[in-house]
Amino acid sequence: MSKIIEAEDLTKIYAGNLTAVDHVSFSVDEGTLFGFLGPNGAGKTTTIKMLTTLASITSGKASVAYHDCAKEPNEVRKSIGIVPQDLAVDDDLTGIENVMLAAKLYRVPESIARKRAEELINLVDLKDASKRLVATYSGGMRKRLELIVGLIHQPRIFFLDEPTLGLDIQTRAVIWDYIKRLNKEHNLTIFMTTHYLEEADSLCDSVAIIDHGKIRISGSPSELKEKVGGDVLEIDVTNGASLTEFFRSIQGVKEVKQTGSKYRIKIPRAEEALPTIFEGISAKGLKIREVSLNKPTLDEVFLEVTGRSLRDEPSGAEDSFQRMITSRRRL
Amino acid sequence: MIAETWALTVRELKKWVRTPALVFIGIFQPIIWIALFGSAFNPSNLVPSSFGAVQPPPEQLNQIRQSILTQTFGGAPTYITYLTGGMLGVLLLFTSAFSGGSLVWDRRFGFLNKLLASPIPRSAIFFSRVLASVIKGLSQSVLVFFIAILVPNGLRLSPEFSMIDFIAVFFTLFLVAIGFSSLFTAMAVRVKKWETLIAVVNLLNLPLLFASSALLPISSMPDWLQGVAKVNPISVGADVSRTLIVYGSLSPPQTADVLFGMTYLLAFAALTTFIGVITSRLALKAE
Repeated sequence: MSKIIEAEDLTKIYAGNLTAVDHVSFSVDEGTLFGFLGPNGAGKTTTIKMLTTLASITSGKASVAYHDCAKEPNEVRKSIGIVPQDLAVDDDLTGIENVMLAAKLYRVPESIARKRAEELINLVDLKDASKRLVATYSGGMRKRLELIVGLIHQPRIFFLDEPTLGLDIQTRAVIWDYIKRLNKEHNLTIFMTTHYLEEADSLCDSVAIIDHGKIRISGSPSELKEKVGGDVLEIDVTNGASLTEFFRSIQGVKEVKQTGSKYRIKIPRAEEALPTIFEGISAKGLKIREVSLNKPTLDEVFLEVTGRSLRDEPSGAEDSFQRMITSRRRL
Repeated sequence: MIAETWALTVRELKKWVRTPALVFIGIFQPIIWIALFGSAFNPSNLVPSSFGAVQPPPEQLNQIRQSILTQTFGGAPTYITYLTGGMLGVLLLFTSAFSGGSLVWDRRFGFLNKLLASPIPRSAIFFSRVLASVIKGLSQSVLVFFIAILVPNGLRLSPEFSMIDFIAVFFTLFLVAIGFSSLFTAMAVRVKKWETLIAVVNLLNLPLLFASSALLPISSMPDWLQGVAKVNPISVGADVSRTLIVYGSLSPPQTADVLFGMTYLLAFAALTTFIGVITSRLALKAE
């Protein structure tokens, strides 16, 4: 697979010597769903801004859709679609007017745009609402419209900044379903940020966690969870000889803790080791009372590498203004 | 460039006509100025009917009153005729003042970022606001022009006022509109808060109105103010359209004055457009 987004030592230093992004390198394979995670102020938005040509690059290189962001910004702009975190559609226009305005800005010929707009509107079930002013839309409808407004020119890469922020759980699920379909059916490369790690976990092919302007860890969600220590297996056995040594001898085991008859074992891909463990225990003549297997979540990975949880983030004044705007979606 | 500018202009205009209150106020405000101010302030009524013991005969008094208009107020048959020429330009000034207003909101809400991430020429963002403002202002001023004729003792066109004069008046106003819309949009491109824009507009609008020949002739002003008023595009626009309205067919010196005024306004429009394009390039480049 070819790397449709590539960042090499990407650095952004704002006036006043504020380093927002510090020598960040990563790549995204064509047709994959890439999640960019990090706390507020970590450098996510600045990175997206550099990739989408909204911010200049202080040093390093970035290429998007095989075009250099600094040298060929217009080529990059033609190849990407964007759903920003803030309002991306005009309240005072109807749904279809918003879509057609985007088509004109991207020079999609009128007849093609009409046909595509109809398909896209049907795709996100906005047919009945497409002739209504966006001001009358619910939060979920607005978000669906924002998705298709960003797609009318058939971009190769879709940048989504917090696409489900402020939406209720059902609407989030619906939006995720559309994003998944776009990715699979249209082979659209998706670069997204999100606060909802469980969603990044279940949807993204690969993720990167950024903090203080640096990428702390990257890889597929399962790789990251393995790196953090893997699964936690808890086994309660009938009393007998200590099994600590036996567990330690199993390949891949990182840590074994014994509390009475209970053992807590950290091991990547525990399900693969389970048969060996079960056989070993019965060979020693012991019986298993209880087994529990806990898969780590991305939340734990995040906590491990950034030292904080994504929830209960403090926010600045501008941030709360953005949130206020975003919350309009829910009205 | 043209397609994108027009698409964004249509967006502005749609937003405008969908807020009828804005359209209505835009027309109503200059009507109020013309009908109320123009009727209440009639300079010929300032002449008293007696000077101490001397009481001029009424015919003489009327003659004095009429000659105030003809001599001081550029030959206008009524004060509203004088005022209309100026108020149309002022109406365009007021409309232009917020030509960049939607840019401030677009920046605040994030729509601007979406535009900047699309492959449109940056100047299309600037030109669309200017063009929308010019269309709004001119359509309102055409309406106001006809309503002023209906006001009692209102706008009296010269019997020789022709279609060509009409076109010339609105071409002059078109230049005034381009000039001020470009100027104010250039300011709004850099402004991050709506409040700042209102403050700037308030600071500029009234001085531009009062230091102009829109309400009173420049000759009635003190010397230092005359200098300012003479270069004020509002004055130039007012004088040109007034000459056309009052005289219709022009004498060669009047034609020369009108052509000079139009050239001056053309230069003003070209200069502010240039400033606007440069400012928006700088303000809309990658951060």
